[in-house]
Amino acid sequence: MQQIKWLWSMMDKPYQKRHIFALSVSAIISIMLLINPALTAILVDEVIIGQNPEPLMRILLMMLVIKLFREGMRYFMVITLERNSQNVSYNLRTRLFSKLQYQDMSYFDQNRTGDIMTRLSADLDWCRHALSYIDLVAVDSLFMFLSTSIYLFFVNWKLALTLVMVTPLLMLITKVYSSKVRPMFIDMRDKLADMNTAAQENIAGNRVVKAFSREEYEEECFDERSSSYMNANLSINKLWLSFFPFIELLANAMTLITVFLGGYFIIQGELTAGELSIFASLSWALSNPMRNLGNLLNDVQRFITSANKVMQMDCDKPRLKDAANAQDHPRMEGKIEFKNVSFSFDTTRVLKDVSFLAQPGQTIAIMGPTGSGKTTLIQLLARFYDVQQGDILVDDCNVKAWKLQQLRGGIGTALQDVFLFSDTAEGNIAFGNQALSEEEVFDFARRAAADDFISKLPEGYDTIIGERGVGLSGGQRQRIALARAIAVKPSILIMDDTTSAVDMETEQYIQKQLENLPFSCTKIIIAQRISSVKDADQILILKDGEIAQRGTHSELLREPGYYYDTFALQNGLELEEAI
Amino acid sequence: MARNRFDVDETLESPFQIGHLKRALTYIKKHRFKMLLALLLSSLASISSLFIPKIMQWVLDVAVPDKNVSMLLRMALLFVGIILMGIVFTTIRSRIMAFVSQEIVYDIRKDLFAHLQRLPFSYYDSRPAGKILVRVINYVNSVSDIMSNGIINSILEIINLIFIVIFMYSTNATLATIIIAGLPVFVAIILLLKPRQRKAWQNQSNKNSNFNAYLAESIDGVRVSQLFTRQEVNKSIMDRLALACKAAWLKAIYISNAVWVSSEVITQIVFTFMYVAGVHWMGGTMVSFGVILAMGQYVGRFWQPITNLANIYNSFVNNLAYLERIFETMDEPVVVDDKIDAKELPEIDGCVDFHDVTFAYEEGSNILEHMNLHVKAGESIALVGPTGAGKSTIVNLLCRFYNLNDGSITLHAKDGSTYDISDVTLHSLRTQLGIMLQDSFIFSGTLADNIRYGNLSATDEQIKHAATMVRADDFISEMPQGYQTTVNERGNRLSQGQKQLVSFARTLLSDPKILILDEATSSIDTKTEKLLQDGIQALLKNRTSFIIAHRLSTIKNCDKILYISNKGILEAGSHDELMEKKGAYHALYTTQSHDQGFDSAIA
Repeated sequence: MQQIKWLWSMMDKPYQKRHIFALSVSAIISIMLLINPALTAILVDEVIIGQNPEPLMRILLMMLVIKLFREGMRYFMVITLERNSQNVSYNLRTRLFSKLQYQDMSYFDQNRTGDIMTRLSADLDWCRHALSYIDLVAVDSLFMFLSTSIYLFFVNWKLALTLVMVTPLLMLITKVYSSKVRPMFIDMRDKLADMNTAAQENIAGNRVVKAFSREEYEEECFDERSSSYMNANLSINKLWLSFFPFIELLANAMTLITVFLGGYFIIQGELTAGELSIFASLSWALSNPMRNLGNLLNDVQRFITSANKVMQMDCDKPRLKDAANAQDHPRMEGKIEFKNVSFSFDTTRVLKDVSFLAQPGQTIAIMGPTGSGKTTLIQLLARFYDVQQGDILVDDCNVKAWKLQQLRGGIGTALQDVFLFSDTAEGNIAFGNQALSEEEVFDFARRAAADDFISKLPEGYDTIIGERGVGLSGGQRQRIALARAIAVKPSILIMDDTTSAVDMETEQYIQKQLENLPFSCTKIIIAQRISSVKDADQILILKDGEIAQRGTHSELLREPGYYYDTFALQNGLELEEAI
Repeated sequence: MARNRFDVDETLESPFQIGHLKRALTYIKKHRFKMLLALLLSSLASISSLFIPKIMQWVLDVAVPDKNVSMLLRMALLFVGIILMGIVFTTIRSRIMAFVSQEIVYDIRKDLFAHLQRLPFSYYDSRPAGKILVRVINYVNSVSDIMSNGIINSILEIINLIFIVIFMYSTNATLATIIIAGLPVFVAIILLLKPRQRKAWQNQSNKNSNFNAYLAESIDGVRVSQLFTRQEVNKSIMDRLALACKAAWLKAIYISNAVWVSSEVITQIVFTFMYVAGVHWMGGTMVSFGVILAMGQYVGRFWQPITNLANIYNSFVNNLAYLERIFETMDEPVVVDDKIDAKELPEIDGCVDFHDVTFAYEEGSNILEHMNLHVKAGESIALVGPTGAGKSTIVNLLCRFYNLNDGSITLHAKDGSTYDISDVTLHSLRTQLGIMLQDSFIFSGTLADNIRYGNLSATDEQIKHAATMVRADDFISEMPQGYQTTVNERGNRLSQGQKQLVSFARTLLSDPKILILDEATSSIDTKTEKLLQDGIQALLKNRTSFIIAHRLSTIKNCDKILYISNKGILEAGSHDELMEKKGAYHALYTTQSHDQGFDSAIA
């Protein structure tokens, strides 16, 4: 099975060896289970029936030693399997996390957080379970069944053969059940992911839920998912219980055949009473593995369902990666050039034939109506998506020929949708630049006008900012995001509507600070406020993905159009008045 | 407020309480009849299985020596009959218990989720979302088996034990005592291990929760990580968390597995002592050899249930760590809740009064002090002032997202009476208020569903109408699938401005008596905003509205402007009044006008 092969490849080499060793030990000690009953038989025969106390202590001691040895080995083996499966868990966690870190943005557009979380928690746990438990039970059961069968063949092959003849029937049941239960496990696992997603979104959107007083509605929605998950579990149980009686019957058939066919053979003179007692005392060693098989079947199918999900995640390769001939750019100058760039999301055209040039150190401002493609434009610059037509050049080199890490490393961005991490204020500012000294953090915070309010937080810069910056006002979050962006000392600084929630006075202060940064950088400013863009070297007006107008503040004010209208509106002028 | 971070363990507030068990019982109680039935069926199944050795004995002792084939066949039939009976009993029991365990899980999850809905913002604000999530999903899943089959099986094992003890004592009291003498030793070992074991599993659940918290956060913030090329740093953090998970798990496993090892070893030691003593006394009057034989078998049959119980106990201790977390969440106090005698708030007219309101998020640092405000029905109020001055706080208090430290907020109903917002039900209050928050959260689903969230019974026409009002229809109609376009919770394909328009439509659809816009249009371009304002002008006519914005063009036309600063209202009045006053508002307004190049336009 490919799932097992894949899982096995996730285990480090030395652990693989230990794993095989541990499973072999397990096979041996599963056979050892047969020794102590045999010794008890000797004890009874010799000491009690034979009235000979002499070997008593010897046999008892032997039994004790065997038991100690066996249990010691078993403990050692269980621990080894646990260690190995943890090795795989650890490898998978770090490996998949690393994949996620480098995964395309479109991957995250398509996969919901709840589903990814399910893969890395419940699904990953089934992979662990397969190595720490399922394989152990499988090996134990198989060896016990095989060794007992072989032994019994030597005792009486006819009776043994009859017993083993049950196996094909068992195989048939196994096959039918597995094929029927597989889609149900897939369904159940999807229901689990659905429930996970519902809960995750409810937690993330708890403010909206409360604002609309939709608690009951949310409970109903969640309830629906929760009960579908329950029902999916119950249908699997129902199917299982329609097969269980047959498996149980076959397991009991071992005893039945032994006693009755055995009895008949004795009558026929084919078997001695002593031989039959051996069969009778060992029939459990045949029927128990068969009983285990039932649980194994379910576990294996559940494992396969989960393993497929994890494997798929492991196989999903990011499409955006460094080209084979990617050039090395130790330092970015900050020259940006868009040449006839067009871009569509699926079938929706977002940018059309966009061209502009920014020399190092210049400031480019982009304005335009909601949804005109401003944010997409900067996402293309950082190569979150590849353009379909045209070229984007940074320092005269196509972004596709840049090393991704170097390209993005040279760009500092303060995104519109501010995402902060549950870390300290200081940690959030130094997010992109771990090497930052405390003084530098303070300095960048001051430049982003964030020092004032951070210092007033209960623990200052050590205050933990909640996930997504909850508890801070929109303007405060934006300022931390800005400090974070300039802290990487980028060659290109992108501010995507970074000061929209900041008051005017503060914005003015920030603008002054940005003019005097301790490093030079090209700036791209996306904003709706005239005040934010008026000093730019070039202002681009995006409309429906195209550049409708371009020029400086005073140039644009001289021609009718979006810029002029916006200017008038923001100054509270009626259009006629301004003219 | 002490916030929790992904890499900080959440310490469990309460020590182990018997209360947890009692509480667990309330979930089980509901199913007691089904469980009793399951217990009965299981007992019947095990009793019927007792006949099997008897039948085997008859076959081998009577039928075979007599060479009686017909008796052999009769016995075989009887055997099959008993087996079938046992299988039927077991199957029914399994079905019943599947329902019981699934329903217990369902009930716990339902209660937990319902409680989470009532918890205040501060609960969500003070810990990573991933830590809440694992409790609802993973932990609840884990406890199902132990609370259903675990209980049935332990009862069965105990019944089993009682019978065997009776058999043992009736056979030979002295040897029976030797066999039982191992029990205190075993119990002592368990008691010795228990505190460590419990701590180890708690630790494991903490590490697991940390891992999940960081994972969830990393998925949501992946864009930022990639922009800042933080991947390698994140990987090393994850590496640390994954290592901690591994270490915690193994430590718990080392301890837990010691339980069955000791039980197996003690069994063997007891067996040895029993034999030595038995053989020593044999020959005397006390012990016959048949007795030793029987007692030898009883050793296994006495200790097997004990080993089974130990295993059940093991997974109980393991799952207790999860159960404690679940109950801890359920015990989390609901700070903002309906009073016991809370009334339904009748339809309000839009008149709002703040009386001497004092409020602090954190003890000792007041955001607002002795604030008074009177808003007439239908008035539009703008809140301006520096960030962090408390503009959002004022509207949050009006929605009663937080309780006041002092003072009161009252609303006027159409019937003429006045209601304190803390005396009415939250539902009747919040459904009459429409607040559009700073961050416009988009749920995964269609755009229509997202707008419909404001009014679940809205028709498609109403949705389209609301969207048209706020100019969201323009871009939605242009999408290939229009209103049926699916968006995910990160809303990646929508621009921030578009998200704001969608959530604006959502708010309008709820037809609130009081409309609150908290930086609702900050990312919307000025032109769209203007169109939007014209569009909603008619809607605003008869509603009171609170508008927080920085763009002065947005607020200029409001009936009343409040300049919030210094823990209260610094200035209040219309635009013209405040301009004449030449105070803080005047300063703010003139900076903005100048800053926008007003002069150069005139020149």
